[in-house]
Amino acid sequence: MKKLIFDPELCTGCRACELACSFINEGVFSPSKARIRVVKFDRDGIDVPTGCEHCEDAPCMIACPVRAIYRDEETYAVILDPDLCIGCKRCMIACPFGAIGFDEDKKIFFKCDLCMGDPECIKWCFTQAVRYSTSLNVNTTKKIKMAKKEATAQIRARDLR
Amino acid sequence: MMEKLYGYAGQTLKVDLTKGKIIKEPLDRTLVRRFLGGRGLNGKLLFDLVGPDVDPLSPNNVLLMATGPINGLLGLTTGRIDITSLSPLTGIFGNSNAGTNFAPELKYAGYDNIMVFGRSKKPVYLLIEDEHVELRDASDLKGAGVFETTDVLKERHDDVKVAAVGRAAENGVLYGCIIFDYWDAAGRTGMGTVMASKNLKAIGVSGTGSIEVADPDRYYEVARDGWLALMNDFGFKTQEHSVLGTAVCVGWGNAQGWLPTRNFRESHFEEAEKISGEEFRDRFSVKDSPIPAGRACMSCPNRCKRYGIIRTGKYAGTRGNIEFESIAAFGSKCGVSDFDAVFHANMIANDYGMDAVSCGNMIATFMELREEGIIDDKFLDGLDLRFGNADAMVEAIHKIANREGKIGELGALGSYLATKAISEKAMYYTSNIKGMDSIACDPRAAKGFGFAFAVASRGSDHLRAHPVFEMIKLPPEIGQELFESPEAVDLRKYGGKPEMVAWHEELAAITDSIGSCRFMHASYYTQYPVPELIHKYLKLKGDVHSLKYHEWISAATGWDISYEELLRIGKRIITVERVINTRRGIRRKDDTLPERFFKDRIPKGPAKGEVYLRKTFNKMIERYYEIRGWDPETGLIKRETLKALELDDVLSVLEKEGLVV
Repeated sequence: MKKLIFDPELCTGCRACELACSFINEGVFSPSKARIRVVKFDRDGIDVPTGCEHCEDAPCMIACPVRAIYRDEETYAVILDPDLCIGCKRCMIACPFGAIGFDEDKKIFFKCDLCMGDPECIKWCFTQAVRYSTSLNVNTTKKIKMAKKEATAQIRARDLR
Repeated sequence: MMEKLYGYAGQTLKVDLTKGKIIKEPLDRTLVRRFLGGRGLNGKLLFDLVGPDVDPLSPNNVLLMATGPINGLLGLTTGRIDITSLSPLTGIFGNSNAGTNFAPELKYAGYDNIMVFGRSKKPVYLLIEDEHVELRDASDLKGAGVFETTDVLKERHDDVKVAAVGRAAENGVLYGCIIFDYWDAAGRTGMGTVMASKNLKAIGVSGTGSIEVADPDRYYEVARDGWLALMNDFGFKTQEHSVLGTAVCVGWGNAQGWLPTRNFRESHFEEAEKISGEEFRDRFSVKDSPIPAGRACMSCPNRCKRYGIIRTGKYAGTRGNIEFESIAAFGSKCGVSDFDAVFHANMIANDYGMDAVSCGNMIATFMELREEGIIDDKFLDGLDLRFGNADAMVEAIHKIANREGKIGELGALGSYLATKAISEKAMYYTSNIKGMDSIACDPRAAKGFGFAFAVASRGSDHLRAHPVFEMIKLPPEIGQELFESPEAVDLRKYGGKPEMVAWHEELAAITDSIGSCRFMHASYYTQYPVPELIHKYLKLKGDVHSLKYHEWISAATGWDISYEELLRIGKRIITVERVINTRRGIRRKDDTLPERFFKDRIPKGPAKGEVYLRKTFNKMIERYYEIRGWDPETGLIKRETLKALELDDVLSVLEKEGLVV
């Protein structure tokens, strides 16, 4: 199943993802209404994209007293239905990622729904710091990256022999 | 209820520091329709609010900070902010621009611009949290560095975006800058010194609002096409600029022979590879290259900001962003090839809050004056300030920021006023124009850039025009079609250069006024009609994508602006800046290059033998004035020009003062 992957190593902190998200979902440009957020650490030169991880065992889903949060069978996204939501904010408190937002204008809670399987944010991420892929892929890529260093060392050592 | 102003936040924030009063007003709709925002809006406000006899450091000067209609939107770079005021460095129109997250945040908080009047009795900072705006005591931050000030504000106010001034500006260094979130400087013309003179230490802003555009569907389409234009730009495709940042220009400028070396004596630095973009990437960069790398302004895929750390040695712990201009200022201009020292110099200049370009130029000028025997060791307070001495250079920065000794006292004035105070002979060794120190490009080796320096409204500067067009080997037919000469694409030739500079200036005025970045139309050439012409003359296949500022602004605001009107607005902005300068005594004689560039040939390197031909230069000025509608004898603006640009209120002021032809 595909997931949104947030990779701080590749993130440039341009926040185009935030703007694309608020625009597609709310028709306005407003980071406070975006489902994705880049937290910037300017002094240290680090940018960390954050958002809903659509957890396997989603605390928000468990915390919701009226089952307004459910899993979409097709995209596997954790979805919040604003019509069922009673506005109690238990999900917001339960979520370890701060991925549940509150819309001050509409007075409703909101979260990422993976744009029904076609996330807008990734279309504006030039470095692919935010990408839509299977978790397994991330796993494999990281393994290969680490193994490459080891392999390089092995090759050097072999050449020296 | 007034009709909604799309693309804008809709409010102006007026801060009177003398009275401690804060007033919110609706944004002046008529004014932004004619000047867009940012630099255009600020220029007109400066004309309206500050008379020709005002001292830049008096409470009567006004500090103007403005965003534009595309700041904070999704698009091709939407984070730049414009600062305008009278410059304490030059005494004329002062203006600086920075790539930030501050500008969008200000709009999300609900304000398009801030106008700062008067002077506070004690140090204060301005805190903006959506509709809640207040002045807070900053006595505990007096004398604090930019980094500490930024840390404190972020800590106190939940990660606000910060604009701060440092100790240099507070000590009266005339080229103090305003630094946004540690590293992004509105560097030039001493805007930080003006802010410090008002006892305003910092501004912190956070906002949770939204910006709406007039036509969302069209906006998305236009923004996407601009985005694709960049992805397809042949310069962008190489990823050189994205990966190395502006530091790519060290190698590039050196190969083309325009990298100022030892205070503009030469234009080729034999040790350039030691301070190159590649060197920075390999030694200091913290992010993986080649593809990711870098940090970006709001909504910018180019990510040209370099962040690095020095891990070992004398300068271990040095960190931050670095740009080509500061590398050249503390590097090649001072003959210094020790990159650790250059990087460190850049960081302390940032923390002191002073312009790295002016500071580096000042030190390079002192180095040459010492070699020429014009100043002595006593003047230099015992510093062995010779070309290439990295330690002495770093020491000189501390002395200038703290105004220690003769070198500190005069070094704080910038190379024009400092050499003027030393002697007539000393003035030959400054590379200033209209009182501002030149940036890192030798006019003799790049004729268009050089010409742009001479006519720039804020004094010697490349960013009014930024005519990279002549450096990137475009087909000569494009030069012919756009600027009436095939020579326009040739770095060493003069043909078409006034036309080229004028076009670039007009578009630059637009980018600075809407809140976007120079690099999107001049560096990369994504702006209409250049991609179309490249497509035509290189006989490329497939669709042409281009960034169309006019459509971009139209879709955001709902106004119907054509490409022609866009250029006219650009012209109007430049004209108002000229008016401000005219009223402060700028005439034709001031639109010139330093004598050295007319007299001394480049001694060695790829541009060996090049000089700026005075006769040709004079003809170019005449052509440029003709394009601008200025009088060739005096440099004053013609009546008909002001009328054609609908600047009747400006005209009536100039009539009274007898400053119009």
